[in-house]
Amino acid sequence: MASSSAGSLKKVNKQMSTAKGGLRSQVHLGVLIAWVGLVTFGTLVMWSASFTNPEVSFPRHLLGIAIGVAVAVVMWNIDFSNLANMSTVLLVVDIIVIFLPYVPGLSYNAMGMTGWIQIPFIHLTFQPVELAKVITVFFMASIGAQYHGKIDSFRDYLKFCGMLAVPFVCIIIQGDLGSSLVVFFSGAVTIMMSGARKEWVLSTIAVIIGLVSLILATDSIIDGIVGDANSLIKSYQMNRLLVFLDPEADTSGAGYNLQQSLIAVGSGGFFGKGIGHATQSSYGFLPESHTDFVFALLCETFGFAGALVLLALFAFLLFSVIRIAIKCESLFFRLVCVGFVGLWMFQIFENIGMCIGLMPITGIPLPFISFGSSSMIVQCIIIGIVESIWRRRQATL
Amino acid sequence: MNAQTLVIIAGLVLLAAVIGSLIFLRGYSGKFTFDTKNGTRPKASEGEGNTSGLAYKGRFTMLTAGVGVMFGAILAKLWSMQMVRGDYYEDLSVQNRTRTVTTAAPRGRILDRNGVELVRNRALLAVTAYSDLVDDPVLVRHLSNVLGMPYAAVRRNIRDNTEGAQAQHTIATDVRRSTIAYIQEHAGEFEGVTVVDRTEREYPYGTLACHVLGYTGTITAEQLEAQDSEERDEGSIVYETGDIVGQAGVEAQYESLLQGVRGEQTVTVDAAGNVTGQVGEVPPRSGTDIRLTLDVNIQRACEEGLAYAISISKQFGYNEAGNGAMLCLDCTNGEILGMASTPTYDPSVFIGGISNDAWSQLNGEESGNPLLNRAIGGQYMSASTIKPLSALAGLEYGVYSSTRTTTCTGYWTGDGEAYGKWCWDHSGHGVMTLEDGIIYSCDPVFYDIGHDFFYDKDNPEGLQEMFRRWGLGSTTGVDLPSEQAGRVPDAAWKKEYFSDYSDEDRTWNPGDMSNIVIGQGDLLVTPLQMACAYMGIANGGKEYTPHVFLSALARDGEGGDSYRYNETGSKERLTAEVDSAYLDLVHSGLKRMIYEESATLAAHFSSLPVTVAGKSGTGEKAGQDPYGWFITYAPYENPKYVVCGVLEQGGFGGSSTVYGVRDVLGQIYNAPDSMSPTDSDRSM
Repeated sequence: MASSSAGSLKKVNKQMSTAKGGLRSQVHLGVLIAWVGLVTFGTLVMWSASFTNPEVSFPRHLLGIAIGVAVAVVMWNIDFSNLANMSTVLLVVDIIVIFLPYVPGLSYNAMGMTGWIQIPFIHLTFQPVELAKVITVFFMASIGAQYHGKIDSFRDYLKFCGMLAVPFVCIIIQGDLGSSLVVFFSGAVTIMMSGARKEWVLSTIAVIIGLVSLILATDSIIDGIVGDANSLIKSYQMNRLLVFLDPEADTSGAGYNLQQSLIAVGSGGFFGKGIGHATQSSYGFLPESHTDFVFALLCETFGFAGALVLLALFAFLLFSVIRIAIKCESLFFRLVCVGFVGLWMFQIFENIGMCIGLMPITGIPLPFISFGSSSMIVQCIIIGIVESIWRRRQATL
Repeated sequence: MNAQTLVIIAGLVLLAAVIGSLIFLRGYSGKFTFDTKNGTRPKASEGEGNTSGLAYKGRFTMLTAGVGVMFGAILAKLWSMQMVRGDYYEDLSVQNRTRTVTTAAPRGRILDRNGVELVRNRALLAVTAYSDLVDDPVLVRHLSNVLGMPYAAVRRNIRDNTEGAQAQHTIATDVRRSTIAYIQEHAGEFEGVTVVDRTEREYPYGTLACHVLGYTGTITAEQLEAQDSEERDEGSIVYETGDIVGQAGVEAQYESLLQGVRGEQTVTVDAAGNVTGQVGEVPPRSGTDIRLTLDVNIQRACEEGLAYAISISKQFGYNEAGNGAMLCLDCTNGEILGMASTPTYDPSVFIGGISNDAWSQLNGEESGNPLLNRAIGGQYMSASTIKPLSALAGLEYGVYSSTRTTTCTGYWTGDGEAYGKWCWDHSGHGVMTLEDGIIYSCDPVFYDIGHDFFYDKDNPEGLQEMFRRWGLGSTTGVDLPSEQAGRVPDAAWKKEYFSDYSDEDRTWNPGDMSNIVIGQGDLLVTPLQMACAYMGIANGGKEYTPHVFLSALARDGEGGDSYRYNETGSKERLTAEVDSAYLDLVHSGLKRMIYEESATLAAHFSSLPVTVAGKSGTGEKAGQDPYGWFITYAPYENPKYVVCGVLEQGGFGGSSTVYGVRDVLGQIYNAPDSMSPTDSDRSM
């Protein structure tokens, strides 16, 4: 089989080089335009934030983009179809990556941050969980593709769900609830798109809701037994949830961030306050305005019009990737695209949603916009993978 | 074993569990595969397999719809926040980054009639903090070191709620510039400590005219409540806790003019509360400057004259002398040119809040109640200064004609031998007319008047009626707070006042008449009332309302007036309707009293360039030294000034108070008294 796939790859490359349209056929313009647009917009937001926010290093943001573009080009040139047969390897690598921050010599803990590693000798810090999201998408797609688009057996369905539970639980243990939810949502979309029967999916959702409620309800008891630090739901997470349910309840503690974010978004109006006049973020009322709450900063600076542009770019990106998935002849590639769509859906909805009070607060970056090289590089990797898939959309048989 | 180790172990256990389950699954299916069909190889990289394209199309439609719903939800929420409720959030963001700071408005200055500053303002810096600062003992300790104040005092000031619990509490006022600079340079160490600009009252003449000027203090809870309960005009001042308001004298009387309107500064702040800029300012509007009728020279002459008279009294052995009043008014319009009262107080002790000790000392008996303005609030028996009014009563009611005489033997027995009364001159004055009675203050003349009124069928209380006609027994209406009305006793009053006594003791008797007709007994007057009565005598019966307010200064800064005292209304208080012939008799008698009663007295006044009319009086109070009165007006021909003085326990008016009064006239006419004082005049 290995030789056969290698042969087909050669065939594809030959096809590609002779295909009509040249570059047009090798690069999906929609994704490219959306990507360039998002990165440009993000750069503009960071540039405006860099005047007043000392935590924003504009050169570092540009460096992240440069690395991201370079890595994306590399990804574009790699054929990922072989990963379809490497589920076990993907799972093991995934788990290793997730637990990298615990490897002595790599772990990097500064200012209370966890989940970071520092690559030896070059002192570059990185959040491995961002990479784990991509690996998990491949992992789930590689399993889903084996069912040929229809999961008939309930046992298979359970097995599939169990596979998703592994990276999900690992990321929770590693301590990043937000990322684990991203992986969970992306994986769930993959399972559904793989052909799971509706009644199973619906009953699974019901079970999950029941379980989550049980965990939340018993949280105080669990806290009493093992202590808050070791319990599944930390007290700050509980507070965030309560504040989400009733934003006015506590405007000084956990509710402060949400309240300030709502003010920042709402006070932007239609055209925004303009660069340098975003008082909520530049005077420090809005915390984490360059990372988790970057959407609020964007809304305050560029208003509804700016948010509209951003959402249009995101929508264009997602619909383009769905379009690529439809065009793909390979089920594996199709599910990889679907996994990325799910990943972006959740990250975008959760990040923007928490800024505008639609979702509880979790620390998830907004793709392409938030300050932070790990996220930027990994998002660029995804773009590179998607473009690679587009390039090899017909390279399956 | 820490939490991290636990987590790693948990992770490893989980990993083992996964591998174990994979092995289990493998055992179940024969060999490990992810495939659904036993034995077949994975076909992951292959095409759509056995699923129709239609099924996929449906799933992708669902996914696309899901993405659409997600963006739709975000857009809908954004629309409602930014487009519909944008103004609401804009307000919140403005509230977030702006703070309104009130700036105190300086009070108006108080000037004398010639524009001399009697009260002005001084700018200073104060250190304030909210009361919760007290929870940080380290900072309070640090602050006490920097300010050079005791730790306990700093704590007490921070917790002191008189400025309002939510307001900034003043820790220290008038802090040195260098200390302020230190606090501002180390703002990080003094979080919660604020430096504010204040203005404070300053009294360039110290205690001069303190009773007229009054003092200021923090608005009391009662005053704030009173403000809330009464209806206010548009644009009138709204007081807040901690505001400084006038509490006595002119400061209180003309509070609404003197009080300025607070300014507001809108500043931008960052999240830490640091001020980053100023976006708007409504400047404070300072209070109106007002001019008083006082003349600083005459005021000073009144105070010095009073002090001089007290020193003379003490010299003559009246060691209890010390309290008294002296005032000078313009009898052509009622303007008060000088008003002195002793003992005095320093109005500056009220600045920044008076301590309890100082307050109780000011209100204590031992200190002689220095806050009392004796010129308007001191009630004394008028003594012989009432005799001109008694004479007018006798004439007007036909009780005692101008030609009738009384033979003074020194002892009067008109009410019977058992009720005999001494004249102040026990050797007797001889045959006296009414005018002689005024000149020599001969008591039997007036005993006869009192006796005849008592037995007069038509006007048994004609005497009291005449007193009231000249304004006694009622306030003069002077524009100063806490004026007293005095008392004109009559039968009804006695019955009411002594209601606990037997009917016999409550009955008005001839002795009561004999007392009040010479200004003794239960008659009570204020120095201002007597000055006003003499103003009436000098004016042919007309009394103007005495006042200290002259004008409010216009805001143009050129010294012009925006309006003057009672511009449109009548300045006249009352006109005592008395036959002018009778008034002339009294008028003449008062002049002759000055120049004919005794050579030594006349000598003091003959050095003045004008002719003076006047009357002495000496009130007798059991167990105390006599209360000395002296009231004059001048010039005799065309009266302009009334000068009135009273000394508590200062001895005879003609030998003590007179010297103070003479000095005031000396200041007015620039003719100092060259004669040395004598203790010879013992007329009452």
